[in-house]
Amino acid sequence: MSKDAPGVSFGEETYEVFARKKRGDALKHVGCVDAPGDALARVYAWKTYDEENWFEMCVVPRRAIVRAGPGKGTSARGEPPSVREDGAAEPAAGRRP
Amino acid sequence: MTGETGDAARLAEPTGEPRPAPDRDSTGQARTARTDARGRRTDQAGQTGDPPPEPAPLARHVLALADSKRLLGIRYSDWLLGSPSIETGIAASSMAQDEWGHARLLYSMLRDFGFDPFEVEHERPADRYYSLPGLDGEFEDWAALVAAVVVVDGALETALESLGAGNFGLARSRVPKMLAEEEHHRHFGAAWFGRLASAGGEAAERLRAGVAALLPSTLAGLLPGDALYESLVRDGHVWPEDRVRERYEERVGGVLAAAGVRIEDAAAERDDWDPARRRGPGAPAEEAVERARGDRNRALFVE
Repeated sequence: MSKDAPGVSFGEETYEVFARKKRGDALKHVGCVDAPGDALARVYAWKTYDEENWFEMCVVPRRAIVRAGPGKGTSARGEPPSVREDGAAEPAAGRRP
Repeated sequence: MTGETGDAARLAEPTGEPRPAPDRDSTGQARTARTDARGRRTDQAGQTGDPPPEPAPLARHVLALADSKRLLGIRYSDWLLGSPSIETGIAASSMAQDEWGHARLLYSMLRDFGFDPFEVEHERPADRYYSLPGLDGEFEDWAALVAAVVVVDGALETALESLGAGNFGLARSRVPKMLAEEEHHRHFGAAWFGRLASAGGEAAERLRAGVAALLPSTLAGLLPGDALYESLVRDGHVWPEDRVRERYEERVGGVLAAAGVRIEDAAAERDDWDPARRRGPGAPAEEAVERARGDRNRALFVE
């Protein structure tokens, strides 16, 4: 069986996934997904991070995140910043935090 | 290990008679009915009873939905590995779990008609399944799977919505949660269908081929146009067929149009329609039914 999708470009982007367990809770970053657009990003996020009975879940294209504070160089844990200074997305390192 | 016994056999034959669900023995296992070689119930002395009456039309309708969802889950599970991306495989896995959960809920409703859901779920051979013919074999490529998400899953969602709006109490209480989960399937199908359709070329061609292979037999299952379905409408269990068709067209028409398919022009393929099994000729692949029944799991079951 051929498990491919011929002729389809897989130009995807990374979406950050945020969720809250109940009304009034702060949205928490729960992970990220790669998707070709908002519609599939929503589905992928909901289906991937379904271990909780979330009250609300949102996805944000990583390129839309505007850094407001310092964060140049590596983080305290030695990880690179997730958003470049020019706003372009870094490649996703993994699906789950 | 497909002993055709009791309820499983009766659901396959129009002469079958539902009987009260068996009691559980001290170990919690269902007691098996005494049946003859053809699965007909016998009394305790082993005498074969008179040919019993036909199972309720609603039981057949619910079983057709349950079997189709069980098989659709199998087909989704074929793509847990090998999907175009990790996220897509995870989504396929989750949708498979949704379908199996829905099937389990639907099988459990058969208890209301005097059937033992365990027997119905685990003891029928392939030719006793009521599932849609489009799910009989594996999907050859990703485009065919995407077509099934739109065409078949969309049809089952529409049929569920119709059943949930009727006067069958168990469906009224259980269907809303299933429909909430189906919403994600619909978004998944629409997004992938649009993506393949807009890519054009071979991707769009395979997509159209997938739709063409599935739509006629799926329409027949959704809109059987037979006396059994009319009786369900008369009893208030489901919507009339024109309303079902209208809802289905609302649900999938715009999506299919992206590939140049006009749902308004699609006709049901009802040749050799089997009113008892609620489907056309054929049967799901034996390998798929072994997985649907969970034969391997049960072979390892230790009491």
